[in-house]
Amino acid sequence: MEEYAEELRTPPIALIALVGCQELHHTISTHLHSDQPPINTLAMPDFASISSLLPPKKDKNAADSANGSVPGIIKRDWLLKHRTRIPAVIAALFSYAQISGDPTQWLQVCTDLENLKFISRGRNIRLVLIIVQETPMDEINEERMTALRKRAEVESKHVIFVTPNTSEFTESLNRLAIVFAELANTYYRDEGRRIKTRIERKSYGSVEMNIRCCFKVAVYAEFRRDWAEALRLYEDAYHALREMVATSTRLPATQRLVEIKTIAELLYFKISTLLLHGGKVAEAVKWFRQHNTSYRRLIGSSEVAFLHWEWMSRQYLVFAELLETSSAINQGIPALLFGVADKLLTEWEFLPAYYYQLAASYLKEKRSCLELSLSMMETASELNSRDDSVIPSVYMGQFARLVEQDGGLATHLLTDEEYIRFTLAEGKRFQDSFEIIALNKKSFESYNNLKVQRMASYCGFQMALEYFSLGDLSNAKEIFEHVAAVYRQEGWIDLLWEALGYLRECSKKQLSVIGFVEYSLEMAAVPIFSDGDYQSFKRKECGPAGLANYSQRENIHREVFGLVKGENKIQSDGESNVLEVSRENPILLEIDIVSPLRIVLLASIAFHEQTVKPGMSTSMTLSLLSQLPLPVEIDQLEVQFNQADCNFTIINSEAHSLSENSSYQSSVRMEISSALVLTTNKWLRLTYDIKPEQSGKLECVSVVASLGPNFKICCRAESPASMNGLPLWKFENQVETFPTKDPALAFTGQKAIQVEESDPLVDLCLSASGPALVGERFTVPVKLVSKGHPIYSGELKINLVDVKGGGLFSPREMEVSSSMDSHHVELVGVTASGTEEETSSASDCIIKLQHSFGLLSVPTIKEGESWSCKLEIKWHRPKPIMLYVSLGYSPYSAEPAAQKVNVHKSLQIEGKIAVSISQRFMLPFRRDPLLLSAIKSNDSELAALPVNETNILIVSAKNCSEVPLQILSASIEPGDGKDNEGHSCTAQHGDIMPGEEFKRVFSVTPEPNTLMVSMGTLCLRWKRSSGHHQSADCGPANVEVLTKHKLPDVNVELPPLVVNLECPPYAILGSPFTYFVKIRNQTKLLQEIEFTSADSQSFVMSGSHNDTVMVLPKTEYILSYKLVPLSSGLHQLPRVTITSSRYSAGFQPSLAATAIFIYPSIPRFMVNDADHETPEAVVAG
Amino acid sequence: MIVCVAVVGHQNNPLYIQSFTDADDALKLHHIVHCSLDVVDERVNNPKKAGPTLNETFLGLLYPSENFKVYGYLTNTKVKFILVTTELDVKDGDMRNFFRKFHSVYVDAVSNPFHVPGKKITSKTFAERVSTLVKSFGSSSAA
Repeated sequence: MEEYAEELRTPPIALIALVGCQELHHTISTHLHSDQPPINTLAMPDFASISSLLPPKKDKNAADSANGSVPGIIKRDWLLKHRTRIPAVIAALFSYAQISGDPTQWLQVCTDLENLKFISRGRNIRLVLIIVQETPMDEINEERMTALRKRAEVESKHVIFVTPNTSEFTESLNRLAIVFAELANTYYRDEGRRIKTRIERKSYGSVEMNIRCCFKVAVYAEFRRDWAEALRLYEDAYHALREMVATSTRLPATQRLVEIKTIAELLYFKISTLLLHGGKVAEAVKWFRQHNTSYRRLIGSSEVAFLHWEWMSRQYLVFAELLETSSAINQGIPALLFGVADKLLTEWEFLPAYYYQLAASYLKEKRSCLELSLSMMETASELNSRDDSVIPSVYMGQFARLVEQDGGLATHLLTDEEYIRFTLAEGKRFQDSFEIIALNKKSFESYNNLKVQRMASYCGFQMALEYFSLGDLSNAKEIFEHVAAVYRQEGWIDLLWEALGYLRECSKKQLSVIGFVEYSLEMAAVPIFSDGDYQSFKRKECGPAGLANYSQRENIHREVFGLVKGENKIQSDGESNVLEVSRENPILLEIDIVSPLRIVLLASIAFHEQTVKPGMSTSMTLSLLSQLPLPVEIDQLEVQFNQADCNFTIINSEAHSLSENSSYQSSVRMEISSALVLTTNKWLRLTYDIKPEQSGKLECVSVVASLGPNFKICCRAESPASMNGLPLWKFENQVETFPTKDPALAFTGQKAIQVEESDPLVDLCLSASGPALVGERFTVPVKLVSKGHPIYSGELKINLVDVKGGGLFSPREMEVSSSMDSHHVELVGVTASGTEEETSSASDCIIKLQHSFGLLSVPTIKEGESWSCKLEIKWHRPKPIMLYVSLGYSPYSAEPAAQKVNVHKSLQIEGKIAVSISQRFMLPFRRDPLLLSAIKSNDSELAALPVNETNILIVSAKNCSEVPLQILSASIEPGDGKDNEGHSCTAQHGDIMPGEEFKRVFSVTPEPNTLMVSMGTLCLRWKRSSGHHQSADCGPANVEVLTKHKLPDVNVELPPLVVNLECPPYAILGSPFTYFVKIRNQTKLLQEIEFTSADSQSFVMSGSHNDTVMVLPKTEYILSYKLVPLSSGLHQLPRVTITSSRYSAGFQPSLAATAIFIYPSIPRFMVNDADHETPEAVVAG
Repeated sequence: MIVCVAVVGHQNNPLYIQSFTDADDALKLHHIVHCSLDVVDERVNNPKKAGPTLNETFLGLLYPSENFKVYGYLTNTKVKFILVTTELDVKDGDMRNFFRKFHSVYVDAVSNPFHVPGKKITSKTFAERVSTLVKSFGSSSAA
């Protein structure tokens, strides 16, 4: 677009001229220029210079119409002239002094005006008078003004007064601008109309004139900013021009076409600019298409075909630039026209990139045509000298020869032959390659930005071709690689082949052996067959790759293998530049799982098993596949693992020389294989045994194949299970083969195997006798016995796990109980007690303990020795737990990184409650207080105790465990507000056997004035009975355990009535005794008591049977009965039932309380020592 | 005249590509077919723009190149047919018709039990039938 002149590229701007009063010119022109729409200004210093600017118009219309033909269509400088030299308005500035001055000055003004009028009249140029006043007060008399207007022939509104340096000056400038704009508009409209009438009248003599007129009218319309009219007339001109192609005979054929195309280009440029600026993108595109189809076939004579292609390229380029500059409009590809009409537009036609690419393509066409023409003109050697005498003629698109004639210069028309020679000489001067690259690059980048990858790669390819032909190999290579990656990805083999061919050639020219080998190998291995499913291309098209067929692949294969084996060298550019592979520059190719060279060599490793013991041998299959067209012989294969000890080398037995010089690396395992030959698409399967020594993962990393002394391919090993199909080949219709013979292994085989640990030769014993008891520190002895392995840097891990899976820790209970009890089961300690000499080292053990986890380092233990320790575990709740103990050690050395062997043991241990404690309250025998709370609510949770009475608390502890226990002491730690006895009584009991109970009696006397008391906590100290057999393995036997049991709270209340039964402990047959029932009223109220007594067969009774009595406050009422026993044995005393009417409570003594033993005669008691069991016996009885 | 037809698999890999030209631009035609896949992608991925052609297999004119026009067709299995022609004025109806026939030939070819879907079409019968179809198209439109 830049090659077009400025006046074509920008819309025309109205032009006015200023003359006189030079000092104001700058101010006025700046103001007009910044006006909207702007107006350009021609500033004339004086009135004389204006006539030199505007020569009087010659009347050529007559001449034109006379002969009916014109020498050209549009004059080259016409537009420029109207934009820069012919003003629409001339503004004559006169100062106040000049007008109102003396007659000489007035005369001068009149002369100047006459001159101006003479100039402007022929051209219809409007005249404006500007009178510059010094002050607003300056007035010109009426007569002078009229005279002035008459002289100048202007209307009064076109005489404008301005007063510089005053506040009204800006206003008058605005007024000026309005007047100028209006007059300019009129001028351009009149001019346009004048020419238009000629068109309408068809008074023009030729098509050329018609076009010229249309063009001029359009330009005038543009001056007026009447875009629609301008567009219409440009279109008219364009169509008229198109018709001229076949009819015009004015110029020699070639030049005629060139002129027409030049004008068409201009008109089209104007049209598309107007369309695009009007936002009519789709129409512009359509117009372009039309323009393109109209002129594409007008190639002209073959010698100058290149001109046509250059022209075409320019059309595309210019349109692309126009599209790009109006890019605000085509942010997105408009879909409006797509799929609507038959003549639909496609997406790409809205993209500048599309046009850039085609511009490049036409430019290429131009170049080839130019080369052809030049080669045909080779004989004409004068082409080299520039013909300076040929210049562009006054008409657009024409050239003329400048000759000296009659002392002056004259232009002559050229013949076609001269013209062709001239253009060829001109064409030779330009290098098109850079332009082609630039265009393609624009397109490439633009497509890439739009993520239109394939288009971009095509542009990239064209660009790279240019770079290649220019010899810019590194740029070419970079782009070719990018492009090849795209083709490779989608399997466009022919395109890939071509790109690879160029890449190979680049590498060759750059003397990059490895690149050359890589590209050659890939080319040799791509799936191209000669059997006709892909047509063969013409040699010329394929570039340096050669024809894409099978034999070419074979040739490349032979060539590259000749090179890598050192058999031949490859000539690069010069004689001295040779590609070769030798001992000094060996080649190592790396092929990983994404490399395109996988098709050259693919290594798959499958272990036959998933796990193996160290030291045991297992099988693995190494499979190699190549798609190279010819068989390849491998000299040596190195299989490398992550454990270097397992590496081994397979040697081709036929490559004898290698086996000799391999002695230096005898540490690596060697295998001899008869034939290591890879044939096309056929797996070479080799199965070997592997004996891993180290545990862990054994993974095959890579396989290095040596093909010749200086060429190696390092191929990343792949698992058959996770192997991707070969790129390119996966689309080929060929038989699928498996890397292993066993198809199952081909689907599941892995390149890695898990090597297990070696078997531990250490015994880990956990022994615990029976269940643990809650509260005690239960000891679990752990014993390590080395049975073949010494233990270095051993580590014992101890874990307590709830059998049922729940945690050993319950956060809820942590809140209520102390922190120590927060764990139900806790690992509380480890005592290491080794053999005698190791006691010191045992103390060095690092012990880390947490509640359920412990870590303990084990000292070094020699083979055959043992070590033991004890774990102490405390149960807070009865719970079965699983104890896991694992020993990790290294059997060989004390290095921290050494291989570890692990031994695991587990043991389930029950935790049981040792003693279950229960308690009971009792009152003294035959004494019963009336406790009202007991009557009111039967299910009172708290026991009630009468105040001031001696109550008896019986605590019993039952051995729930399976071992005898020894009770050491039982005591009550007091609560509050009560008195109790027997705080701590140490009891030297014997063992209580499982199931037996231990009882202890306390007396409790609640003090008055308390309602509820806490009874305190029972502390029971006990230990496992230190029997004969346990002490050996069960440590805790001699450790006493404290079991605490919180006694329930009790209510204390004052009983209103207390009933006492009094009778002798025994009676003698026939001898009378007295039986009292004492009812004590403890209240301050009168109590009404009813009582009845039942008869008994065993006694003769005297006393009142039944009655109602009143008991006075704080007194005791005594019922007394005299009884004579009638028979011996245990008998029930007569029952006395007492009822309190106030409390509606009845009392009936219990059977036990009313039983009495009747001796037949007075007994004789043996006195034995006081036994603590006595009260127990009483209670039990 | 149809100068090139191609069957492109759903991974955009060529399954069959055949040019019918005597000029040495076969490789250029491959490039054109390859580039046209971008347009197919664009149309398939932005069906909104396509509007009324939403459910249509015939994709219409993909793009005009210097001397060629490229037409596309998309089967339900996302296999694309691409056609390159030198004729600048082709009726859509003719194109549709051609693609319909071409599709049925393709279906016959891939229905072969020995054909593995997704692999290149190497059937000679297919090639022959396609070539007949292409020639008949030229003659019918010329007539």
